[in-house]
Amino acid sequence: MHSNAKSPSLSPNPHLRTECALRWLLAVIALASLAGCATQTVQPWQRGTLARWDMRWDPDPLQAAMDQHAYFSKEGTSGEIGAAGGGCGCN
Amino acid sequence: MGCPCALHLETHDESVAQAVLAAVTGECARLDRKYSHYRDDSLVARIAASAGGAIEVDEETADLLDFAAALHAQSDGLFDITAGALTRLWDAQGGRLPDKAEITIALTVTGWQRVQWRRPVLRLSIPGMRLDLGGIVKEYAADRCATLCRDADIKSGVVDLGGDLALIGPHRDGTAWIVGIKAPRPSGQAAARIELPRGGLATSGDYERALIVDGRRYSHIVDPRSGEPVQGFASVSVVADSCLVAGAAATLAMLMGTDRGGAYLRELGLPHLTIRDDGRIDGDIVRID
Amino acid sequence: MRPSPSLSLLLAASAALTGHAPARADETGSEQYAGYRFNVYSEDALSAPALGDPRRYQVYSQQFLLITPIGNRNTLSVNATHEVMSGSSPWYVLPGADGRPIQVLSGATIRDHRSAATVSLTHDAGGNDTTSISASYSQERDYHSTAIGAERTLPLNAALTLGFGGSFSHDRIEPFEAMLYDRIQRAEKNTTSAFASLSLVLDRYSVVESGIQLNYQSGYLSDPYKLVSVGDALDPDTRPGRRSEAAWLLRYRRAMNENAALHLDSRLAVNSWGQHSLTLAANWYQSLGDGWQLVPGLRYYSQSRARFYAPFFAENAGPFFSSDYRLGAFGAAAANLNLRKRFGHWEFSVGAERYHAATGYALGGTALADPATVSYTRMFAGLDFHFD
Repeated sequence: MHSNAKSPSLSPNPHLRTECALRWLLAVIALASLAGCATQTVQPWQRGTLARWDMRWDPDPLQAAMDQHAYFSKEGTSGEIGAAGGGCGCN
Repeated sequence: MGCPCALHLETHDESVAQAVLAAVTGECARLDRKYSHYRDDSLVARIAASAGGAIEVDEETADLLDFAAALHAQSDGLFDITAGALTRLWDAQGGRLPDKAEITIALTVTGWQRVQWRRPVLRLSIPGMRLDLGGIVKEYAADRCATLCRDADIKSGVVDLGGDLALIGPHRDGTAWIVGIKAPRPSGQAAARIELPRGGLATSGDYERALIVDGRRYSHIVDPRSGEPVQGFASVSVVADSCLVAGAAATLAMLMGTDRGGAYLRELGLPHLTIRDDGRIDGDIVRID
Repeated sequence: MRPSPSLSLLLAASAALTGHAPARADETGSEQYAGYRFNVYSEDALSAPALGDPRRYQVYSQQFLLITPIGNRNTLSVNATHEVMSGSSPWYVLPGADGRPIQVLSGATIRDHRSAATVSLTHDAGGNDTTSISASYSQERDYHSTAIGAERTLPLNAALTLGFGGSFSHDRIEPFEAMLYDRIQRAEKNTTSAFASLSLVLDRYSVVESGIQLNYQSGYLSDPYKLVSVGDALDPDTRPGRRSEAAWLLRYRRAMNENAALHLDSRLAVNSWGQHSLTLAANWYQSLGDGWQLVPGLRYYSQSRARFYAPFFAENAGPFFSSDYRLGAFGAAAANLNLRKRFGHWEFSVGAERYHAATGYALGGTALADPATVSYTRMFAGLDFHFD
């Protein structure tokens, strides 16, 4: 069942380092802009819109859980903010 | 409070009932003293006297002002506690239609946008401006009285301040209180009878105070942006978890008029009843007849 | 019952006067509801050259959720899942005659089921100050996992909320047919994870959250069901006994008008196996009136390969090697659409997602083609009942 063909050479990806540096740069810029954000003070009586169902972090927790489970089992690095739920044999 | 008030209670203990009645009467008197605009010694009068300068207000007043500010923002300026001067012009007691000049003068001292409100400091920028909290204090008072009763361990009852109701709790056997919604014309009969399982019922209506000139009705509900009365319902009643929210919803619907008010009430999702000038009744409150 | 947008505004505005705290965007404390979902997950048959049954995984799963307040300040959440899985799975990869990798699938149809439950208790001290603890258990024929976690949110000022927490899980695997296929008989793995996040109210219509998550795993991290072609032999999948990961998440929610909201989510992660990944997702929540809501969404994912990944290896490779496509470089694009309708206390929802992974979609490209990247369709139907 095994052939004698040689395995392909594992040459390092030449684009990897630039790509990596670019990602870290984006991360730093985004973090810095978050810190420097000029925000308006929102008075208590103005918070109604923020209380809308479609403004939640996860409007549908069951669906979010199922999405996370699917991505976690089919991808190498997925995860989420928050305490990890029970693991599974799928990854 | 300037209206007939009643307290309905169910309790074993007569002395508890008497004590609670005294507490509730005291609370209503306190709020009346503080917010009435017929009295010279009320907080409202002192606020009016401070116009042109600044005044620091207490927590309770600050919460009421925050609420009024929210309603102003949500109604695009229709709900405005500075509109007292305008409302008085269109009051039935005047007996006649106001003229353009009077409206213009009243408009100069109207407008929440001319008020600087940075809790706890209130600044009415124009001398002559007055705040009229009548639209929210009555419902707030009803909720406060209901809370006082619950704190005194009363579990069944209804507070009735001139038709604005706050529920203390259902009948002792668990059934809901059956209450009546005032009719637009002072016929003495209720327009509808409904169950009140929770919260409060508030009715906003112009029946007693609308101006009738040459056979035409002019509502005393005035659009503070134009100075003219709105083409509105004869009355709007809303049920909500508190009399305050019910009252706010009813008032906003009245201000929005027949075209937008109905859509607003439906979108709100609270049980409501509207009655038009021609007597037509709409709304999804379940009536017991 | 979840209040309409205009009612939420009135409730929020009257909160100080009536003494009822309004439900915030991330609070479910005042709600009481039960939910049920039925999900179908179906992978496309493998199109690349393959040996064995090319039809891949199918999973039918049911989810139950109950959220109920206990007293004035506490909420209990109970969540249970049951899944039935079947299908064939990638087993090992062989170099074909022309050097192209050929995927060999497990052939025998796997049939397994998984049951899991999570219970959590949240205490709400008011003003966005919450503490919660949770415990979970998950069980399959060959896999058991127990986990506990705790988290806290704390308002720092009127606009800024801090969140942080940690969790620990202990997993045990006892592969079936271990003797027959010369697999390890029993192994364990521990995972410790911690996170910290800051959420910021930008204005009346928008909020943003930035968070860091760190994971550390140790124990048996290989896949006992997979083999790797190393020279002429087939060796068991062998991965390091430790892996740490750091991720940065960014989430943004914006109310576009009274009827629509935009959700943007992104995640950047790196791990000690040499992988890094990027996830971008966007969802649009559109109210259509009358209780209808339509939610389309898009997701893009890209990851790079682990240092010890290749479809197949020369002799003397090692000490670690794996040809599991999930350790390779690939990208994935997905589109989804959900529809919800509320009537009275009930809410009905349906949705579907189409997901397609390919080595060509990876950012930065890759020289290694992997034959087993997956494409799947997911669909669900759900029913919720709101008690209040």
